[in-house]
Amino acid sequence: MDSSESPTETKKTKSKTPRKNKETVLKQKSPAEFFAENKNIAGFDNPGKSLYTTVRELVENSLDSAESISELPVVEITIEEINKSKFNSMIGLIDCERVDAELYDDYETEKAREKRLAKEARAQEIQAKNAALGKKVKETPASKGIRGRGEASFYRVICKDNGKGMPHDDIPNMFGRVLSGTKYGLKQTRGKFGLGAKMALIWSKMSTGLPIEISSSMRNQSYISFCRLDIDIHKNIPHVHVNEKRENKERWHGAEIQVVIEGNWTTYRSKILHYMRQMAVITPYAQFLFKFVSDAPEKNVTIRFSRRTDVMPPVPLETKHHPSSVDLLLIKRLIAETSKQNLLQFLQHEFVNISKSHAERLIGEMGPDFSPKMALKSLTPQQLVRIHQLFRQAKFDDPNGHCLSPAGEYNLRLGIIKELHPDMVATYSGSAQVFEGHPFIVEAGVSIGGKNVKQGLNIFRFANRIPLLFEQGADVVTRTALKRINWSSYKINQLQDKIGIFVSIVSTKIPFKGTGKEYIGDDITEIASAVKYSIQQCCIQLKSKIVKKMQAREQQERKRNLSKYIPDATGAVYNVLKDMAETQLHASKKFRYGDDDGELLRKVYENLITKETLSEKLAKHVEQVDYEMALEYATQSGVSEEPREAIYIQPLETENKIIDLHSPFFVFRMFY
Amino acid sequence: MTESITGSVLITVLFSIRSSAQILSPSRVKISVVIHFHFTPTLCPITAHLPSMAESSKKRRRTNTDDLPFKNKLKPDSTILQTLKDFSTSSSSSSSSSKTLTLQDLSLPFSCREVSDLSLSSVQSNIESLVLRIAHSILSGNGFAFDVPSRAATNQFYVPELDRIVLKDKSSLRPFANISTVRKSAITARILQLVHQLCIKGIHVTKRDLFYTDVKLFQDQIQSDTVLDDVSCMLGCTRSSLNVVAAEKGVVVGRLIFSDNGDMIDCTKMGMGGKAIPPNIDRVGDMQSDALFILLVEKDAAYMRLAEDRFYNRFPCIIVTAKGQPDVATRLFLKKMKMELNLPVLALVDSDPYGLKILSVYGCGSKNMSYDSANLTTPDIKWLGVRPSDLDKYKIPEQCRLPMTEQDIKTGKDMLEEDFVKKNPGWVEELTLMVKTKQKAEIQALSTFGFQYLSEVYLPLKLQQKDWL
Repeated sequence: MDSSESPTETKKTKSKTPRKNKETVLKQKSPAEFFAENKNIAGFDNPGKSLYTTVRELVENSLDSAESISELPVVEITIEEINKSKFNSMIGLIDCERVDAELYDDYETEKAREKRLAKEARAQEIQAKNAALGKKVKETPASKGIRGRGEASFYRVICKDNGKGMPHDDIPNMFGRVLSGTKYGLKQTRGKFGLGAKMALIWSKMSTGLPIEISSSMRNQSYISFCRLDIDIHKNIPHVHVNEKRENKERWHGAEIQVVIEGNWTTYRSKILHYMRQMAVITPYAQFLFKFVSDAPEKNVTIRFSRRTDVMPPVPLETKHHPSSVDLLLIKRLIAETSKQNLLQFLQHEFVNISKSHAERLIGEMGPDFSPKMALKSLTPQQLVRIHQLFRQAKFDDPNGHCLSPAGEYNLRLGIIKELHPDMVATYSGSAQVFEGHPFIVEAGVSIGGKNVKQGLNIFRFANRIPLLFEQGADVVTRTALKRINWSSYKINQLQDKIGIFVSIVSTKIPFKGTGKEYIGDDITEIASAVKYSIQQCCIQLKSKIVKKMQAREQQERKRNLSKYIPDATGAVYNVLKDMAETQLHASKKFRYGDDDGELLRKVYENLITKETLSEKLAKHVEQVDYEMALEYATQSGVSEEPREAIYIQPLETENKIIDLHSPFFVFRMFY
Repeated sequence: MTESITGSVLITVLFSIRSSAQILSPSRVKISVVIHFHFTPTLCPITAHLPSMAESSKKRRRTNTDDLPFKNKLKPDSTILQTLKDFSTSSSSSSSSSKTLTLQDLSLPFSCREVSDLSLSSVQSNIESLVLRIAHSILSGNGFAFDVPSRAATNQFYVPELDRIVLKDKSSLRPFANISTVRKSAITARILQLVHQLCIKGIHVTKRDLFYTDVKLFQDQIQSDTVLDDVSCMLGCTRSSLNVVAAEKGVVVGRLIFSDNGDMIDCTKMGMGGKAIPPNIDRVGDMQSDALFILLVEKDAAYMRLAEDRFYNRFPCIIVTAKGQPDVATRLFLKKMKMELNLPVLALVDSDPYGLKILSVYGCGSKNMSYDSANLTTPDIKWLGVRPSDLDKYKIPEQCRLPMTEQDIKTGKDMLEEDFVKKNPGWVEELTLMVKTKQKAEIQALSTFGFQYLSEVYLPLKLQQKDWL
């Protein structure tokens, strides 16, 4: 994608710069320009992924917005396919018929046509042959014409929520200025960089040239702000078309964002649906309505992920920096922003885990140049470096996890049950741990069995309560589950059982690897061991359940398994007896055996004792033993799991009348 | 019987005199005289042709083997033979004195289970009384159970005085009406029935045969084999007494004559492959030999080399191999040879933990068959090679040595804890060296100096230096 753009870029610069000036020219680039050129950083690698990322960014913004006002989220997302002529009419372009066919890339030359026809004929022949032989062959897809480069597909993405809404005057800047945002503070949020919605706008501008449309209303606001804008990429400022106030009859609050972009639904359909499904798992308190609308009705999709709980995780709190996680630049910024006057107050109030006495001790340690009462403004750059050094070396208590808002075991469990319908599920929520001064919490769930679950390990990853779908292979969760968990020791068959593994990590800073927010690297031991521990805890819970289940199954199958070997055993015993009886009586020598044995052999000889006699006796014994063991099992494991037996209660009346209603599958008997 | 032997021997003598007439030198005659003194008169004519064979084969090969390393250290064969003779006589005199020791002679703090050879009829009656007991038990509605001696590792015990593993008398009940033992007890009943049939008919079958009589029940041969061992342990007889044998695995070649089912076998005339060791040892008898020692070889390849080079003619010996882990027949055969011929046994195994393990199975028995260790073990086997110290001593190049795997090292360390290793300080030293250097080598590593290095230099030199432990 990038390479295709660079020529246009160079062209532009050429036309701008005077011809004389051939030396290198110092140029500035706006952030919007930078991201337009490096779309892949934000997950806009290609049209398909761009569609996925747009959906994702809009949904996450909606959730953040609703949660920030403690409202149970209701998010409606609609993707509308726009065909070419409709798109042209939207942008006011008249449909043009091709006049000079040879001009186009997909023009079929005479030779190519012959080739194609020959190929099609051959394919038909083979198919006819197969059909004659009675082989079942799948319909070969109708030969697609060569899809030209120009054939792009366009989609309108609409996302409507019941969130906080946006202040009327802020809307242009919130959408039209890259790297501006409300989520920059140090807290656990889904979005982080102030990129998502803007990138969607940049992408729409690049692919369709159409502006973004925003309707928004805040709580108790009598009007709805409607804004249509696009972005001036070179200046990184919004370019507002319309910004007006409309009537708000329904007292609606929230935001509705509409953007038209190029995309690819066919290839990213499953990714988008997976994303929605996993989002529903991790946010069971939200209600999602996902719709895909197109001209072809058979392609349409409507999925409702309904709300299963109204327990919502608390809103994550904004927290202060931990001294061990700050750098020099951050210290300078904090000093510039703080309202505190002197060093002591600054240390005490702008950081976590520094008490007053601790701050005094720290200042004493800094050296003779420092004093608690010294003014912040008077600190020299050298002194700042000293503070930074001390922060690096000194020991501080770990930050606690109060500022984090994990999904919670309850929600995680509910989400898993709701979306997967597993046979068994176990969840575990770890305590807060620290990586480079940022607290994090790992929660895990492991499920066995379920609907639409593949055999083997199915891994679901969440970071700050958003699903991660790409780059699964290198992720810490995948690696841990595949390599560091000994599944068989928990009586789980890694290859045959349908195992669902859900790991959710929340932190004030998720250490993503790579450019996109796609995966967490495996090289952070703190996180890796926390993930492993959490999964193991789930497995331990499951193991006892599995063992119980196996025991119960063994109970049910004991009698059958024992009875299976009765013919073998009795057959062997009887044959020996028979041989003995025959040889003994034929030889007619003195009784080699005692009275009992002689009697037994005589009976065998006279067919009074046969193989069946032995089998019957042994079967009776097996039954008795089975009964005793079942009784023992029942006393041990409680009444609930005792073997069920049909109980027949005699009716009070001696005479009763019945009617049998017969059906091919059952008989319904009515007593009256 | 004796007549037939002398007959065949005479022909050999005639042949040998003819072929050796031209090259008979005074020194060779001397050797033959030396050997003459040592062996019994009936076998004497065979030995007469020994030098000639050695001589001719040597002449053929000497041309290209002079440059072999350490070749120059070799003394003339006559000297080596003298050494061997001394060793043979000393070991035979020493072993004869300690032969009588049995389990009963020792007053061990626990009772042990040992089995003995039983006649077919007594095996049959043992089975019959067992089956009658079971039948009564079934008919009285109590199901049935076998009382099977435990062959688990915890029930094994190494007796240093006997230098072998014995089985303690712990046993476990195998009831039919229990989910974990139902299968085994059904198989046990079936095996008992099959063995009973063998007893009535008086025939032998192989373990494989036995397995195929009821594949559906046994599922795989390991299961029927295990239960077969249980049964022989339970009935208190050796496995051979059950008339079930394993397929032939071991082979023997060299200066040995024995009768197999009445046919006389001369193991010098069995070609390169040698004679397969008969699976049922009870039909083997009348062993006679003029060998000075028995050479136990782990691998088929080394065995073939020695057999083809007629090593047993240069240094009179009997060469035996079981091609890896020894089977019962080979162990019984070795024991029988050792007892009847009273020869020292030298072992040539790989320089790795498994080589030593194989040595231990010959020497003090396997845990699986410990109930019959009295019949199966051959005491006083000497470890001739290839020993870990040989790797440097014979300058085996690095590329022929292999690094030991984790598993190898673990096995090695475990073996250092075993009593049969600990009783021999030399072995402990060698094994410690192996674990320390973390290197192993197969017998074939010697082939780097030429395929015949083993038979031409290594073994003669080893024998000359009496380099065994």
